Amino acid sequence: MYQALFFLFAASAVGFAINLLIQRHPIHSALSLIGVMGSLASLYLMLGAEFLAVVQVIVYAGAVMVLFVFVIMLLNADKEEPSDRSKMAKYLGLPLLFLLLAMITVVIYRQFPEDAMVQFGDFPGQTAAIGRLLFRDFLLPFEVISILILIAIIGAIVLAKKEP
Amino acid sequence: MTWIHDHILTVVLFIPLAGAILIMFLPKENKNGVRWAANLTAFLGFLVSVPLFFWFDSSVGEFQFVEKVEWIPSIGANYSLGLDGISLLLVLLTTILGFIAILSSWTSINERLKEYYVFLLLLQTGMLGVFMTLDFFLFYVFWEVMLVPMYFLIGIWGGARKLYAAIKFFLYTLVGSVLMLLGILALYFINRSQTGVATFDIVALQNLNIPVNLQLWIFFAFFVAFAIKVPMFPFHTWLPDAHVEAPTAGSVILAGVLLKMGTYGFVRFSLPMLPDASSHPMVVNLMITLSLIAIIYGGLVSLMQKDWKKLVAYSSVSHMGFITLGIFTLNPNGLSGGILQQINHGISTGALFLIVGIIYERRHTREISEFGGLSNVMPVYATMFLIVAMSSLGLPTLNGFIGEFVILQGAFEENWVWAALAVTGIILAAAYLLWLYQRTMFGPLDNPKNKNLKDLNFREMMTLVPLIILAFWIGLYPKPFFRILEQPVQKIMERVRPAYYAAHPDAFGAPARLNAAAQPSASLETEAAAVRSAEKRAGASR
Amino acid sequence: MQTSDLIRILPEIILAVAGIVVMLLGAFQKQNAGRMHPAIALLGLLGAAGAIAYQYPWRSLDPAFGGMLELDAFSAFFHILFFLVAALVVLSSSEYVAQERLASGEYHALLLFATMGMGLMASSNDLIMIFIGLEISSLASYILVGFRRGVATSSESSLKYFLLGSFATAFLLYGIALMFGATGATNLTEIHLALQAEQNTVTAMASPQLTPLVGPVPTALVGLSIALLFVGFAFKVSAVPFQIWTPDVYQGAPTPVTAFLSTGSKAAAFAVFLRVFMVALEGSAQDWVWLLWVSGLLSMVLGNLAALLQTNIKRMLAYSSIAHAGYILVAFTAHSEEGVAAVMFYLAAYALMNIGAFAVVSHFGNRGERYVEMEHYAGLGYRAPLLAASMTVFLLSLIGIPLTGGFFGKFYIFRAALHADLVWLTVLGVLNSAIAAYYYLRVIVFMYMHPAAEQIPVERVRPAMGFVLIFSMAATFLLGIFPQAVLDFASQAAALLLENLGNGVL
Repeated sequence: MYQALFFLFAASAVGFAINLLIQRHPIHSALSLIGVMGSLASLYLMLGAEFLAVVQVIVYAGAVMVLFVFVIMLLNADKEEPSDRSKMAKYLGLPLLFLLLAMITVVIYRQFPEDAMVQFGDFPGQTAAIGRLLFRDFLLPFEVISILILIAIIGAIVLAKKEP
Repeated sequence: MTWIHDHILTVVLFIPLAGAILIMFLPKENKNGVRWAANLTAFLGFLVSVPLFFWFDSSVGEFQFVEKVEWIPSIGANYSLGLDGISLLLVLLTTILGFIAILSSWTSINERLKEYYVFLLLLQTGMLGVFMTLDFFLFYVFWEVMLVPMYFLIGIWGGARKLYAAIKFFLYTLVGSVLMLLGILALYFINRSQTGVATFDIVALQNLNIPVNLQLWIFFAFFVAFAIKVPMFPFHTWLPDAHVEAPTAGSVILAGVLLKMGTYGFVRFSLPMLPDASSHPMVVNLMITLSLIAIIYGGLVSLMQKDWKKLVAYSSVSHMGFITLGIFTLNPNGLSGGILQQINHGISTGALFLIVGIIYERRHTREISEFGGLSNVMPVYATMFLIVAMSSLGLPTLNGFIGEFVILQGAFEENWVWAALAVTGIILAAAYLLWLYQRTMFGPLDNPKNKNLKDLNFREMMTLVPLIILAFWIGLYPKPFFRILEQPVQKIMERVRPAYYAAHPDAFGAPARLNAAAQPSASLETEAAAVRSAEKRAGASR
Repeated sequence: MQTSDLIRILPEIILAVAGIVVMLLGAFQKQNAGRMHPAIALLGLLGAAGAIAYQYPWRSLDPAFGGMLELDAFSAFFHILFFLVAALVVLSSSEYVAQERLASGEYHALLLFATMGMGLMASSNDLIMIFIGLEISSLASYILVGFRRGVATSSESSLKYFLLGSFATAFLLYGIALMFGATGATNLTEIHLALQAEQNTVTAMASPQLTPLVGPVPTALVGLSIALLFVGFAFKVSAVPFQIWTPDVYQGAPTPVTAFLSTGSKAAAFAVFLRVFMVALEGSAQDWVWLLWVSGLLSMVLGNLAALLQTNIKRMLAYSSIAHAGYILVAFTAHSEEGVAAVMFYLAAYALMNIGAFAVVSHFGNRGERYVEMEHYAGLGYRAPLLAASMTVFLLSLIGIPLTGGFFGKFYIFRAALHADLVWLTVLGVLNSAIAAYYYLRVIVFMYMHPAAEQIPVERVRPAMGFVLIFSMAATFLLGIFPQAVLDFASQAAALLLENLGNGVL
């Protein structure tokens, strides 16, 4: 049961991600991204990281994606024109990508015994524990990220504002 | 006086640099001011170096006038200077040729005068540093730094294909020297693991015992650098380009001093630091073969040149072949002859380039076919050219003869075939120089452009006269020069062929004690030496 | 968190505050704001440098924020280097910013933030912190690269840098995750201990169901993680085969930003690269040394060969920067104390000469960077002697001619490599450095040995730019003639960095 659920959500995450790339219309891609986020949230939940799962839904699937969709609608973005794809990407990039995936899979598969399985509640993923970690052990990274966000805001303004 | 005695090398080394810095601050428009400043600096540099010759004690084997200051202690590099007989002669050659080169450019250079003299003086400091330093690291620094002013001299004031020549010169030398740097580092690490001291001190590195295999690797790392600089046969292609395109002063310095840095490298580093590799039959045969090829090939190519300067340039290849031949005979005669021939070549070829430069300044061409019968309009010039040519082709009573004769003696001692082949080089030299002389100086004066040529003025004479005096001095009374070389040659021999003097107690540079009485172990060493030289001959004849 | 922790990040705090002040200045003061920005930025950098100096001697072993940061001599060395680089870039870009009408406040603020990120990178001792520092500096760089908005190549290069950079960051992040999976730690020292003891620290809090994971560190996972971390860092230092972005980005970015990227960002990336691989992963060196060997060699060869073909000087310097990353990797491959010191020294020398070279390019480029082709430099030696002379010094230093910092940098690198018995890599390295001479010389050839083809205006050198040129030249010579002080600093820092590990001290 547990395994089946895992594969369901994992497969849907991957499926949505691929769909995101294939779709021509931005709005479809955005919707697929929401699907990816949702599947990931379910996976987090299955690991017992309920806080993370909720944050994923609220922040990403909720706030961020809603903004995406709004922007797409405001810009009235239309279907993308298919451009000439790079031949190099097709004939060299894709095989290499699959090679990399295969390698990672093999390593991880070999490394862990088949019956090793993490289940709900195995890790102390409660909200309180996360809060304690964030504000005690990882206080500095948590605070410093604010600068990162500030930079992103500045960037958005600088690159998008009208020339004086 | 004691201060100057203790720091004379530093003074000699930095006078040109100080002059260069001074000239940088002179106004560009004041051309004569710049000229005077440069000439005075160079002359002062020469004057200051003269006492070296008198203060030098040729009976002492150690380095003299030693100065040592810590530079980069963490890697063991020092600012340390010192002279032995070999470097003394080269330093003196450098100061005198440096002055002559600067004097010779008085009228031939008219544009970007200030930069020109700055670069020449910087070059002078670099070359002096190469010969003076007792620290291998500092040696490398000078060796490389010198590339830059020479590059600009060729590249800015050179002839038609100056860019090509300048870059070729720079890259060739750079490729060689980076490999040398690895060789230096290898020696440094070997010394550190053997003695626990991190040092680039040349004297210390000359006393290492290194497995032959490793020695051979390091030898070839050095070989590339030095052989390119000499230049030895397959590496010589940069030389004619650089010579032909360089301004006269550049050629004089290049032929007179820069090329000597390669042979100096062999004598100072390869032989004493890597004695087993240097006396390895494979290496000896290779070096001798390349030298002989250079002698004969250089001579043949010279014969075919239509360009006056190119002819002299290729003759350099041939003459430098003699020097490497002498060095790698690995006997006292060959070595002392090779070292002395460095000086001789500096004098003769330097003078030959001056001769070419003088006529180029008047006619702006170097095509031999453009000239003929010049002795009619320029008698003084023709006379001086004759003396210089004779000195270059090795006429007795002139310097070239002494050097080549002693080298041939050394070569003959090892293998008569070497000597026989080398003699053809002398014959070729006579052929191309005399033919050149005949085509330019004799014959009818039929080119109208040559009819009104002026003979040498006083300044031009003064550039040639000192060299001619030196040529006669070495040719007639070379004894002081050989005395200066005695100790250094002995030291090298003791490293390269330790048993040699026991077998030849009368040879040049033999320690006095051997002449007085044979040491108890001498007979054993004699046998060993006999076996060794027999092997060598067998290897050579194969 | 204690006061001592705050003092540890005081330099970063000062930089962040200065950045915010610079940014807000535009909102309150419309006039003269453009002139105030560089001044405030310089003050901030000075203050940050003062905060670093205040903590001298930088050898205390008590880490800040529970092991997140480690302000040792190693990080102090890099902090000082970053501040110097940033200050020189601020000075050299003042005329550029005005001339190109860039948004001055944002430009300086982003520079300060990027410097702050780099500072965090240098002192972080935790993979999480490293990642955040890296992101801060990268994100700021992405934006700075795209600052010439009216120019298509600038926007293009910004986008390219952003996409490829994010991709590389993803690899890095995956590597961090796997490393955490394998060792149960993100702290570098803890990872080192876990690998040394071959015990997964995650066991401590594992529940019964996790017993299969308990026990030895999964080595294959560590290997995979190392490979992924390598990809991330190699991208940042632009080592082959992750160098594709470099030429386009360096060419498209505003020249002062290129100078900043090729010196500051590269040094910061090498700082974390060194710290992660030498502190956390030194024990599994046999797994990664060959990666560095191959990548270093390829970087040198490809960088130099490609640079030979360039006619645009910025692009040429971009390819040369790939080659220089290769030289640095040669010293890194030695993975010894000497090697680390050599990398540090080289980064300092490279930063100074490269900033100088880019300052000349930036000044000479004129409005809209019109004059960045090599042929534009024809005859510069006679029309602007000082500009050309300083460029010559920087180029000679890049070649590695003695008496310049570049020579000593290369010397230490090859010394360290030879000492570690990397004979072939060293031989190929020195031969490469000789090949490289060709394309640097070509610029000199154009400046001094070609007649000027067309009249190209050369603006008067302003005092700020003049200061940058003279300072870089003097520093390049100083590092080449009396390198002792900097070298001692670097070797002490390297010794301290590695010494703690030998004793297993946390």
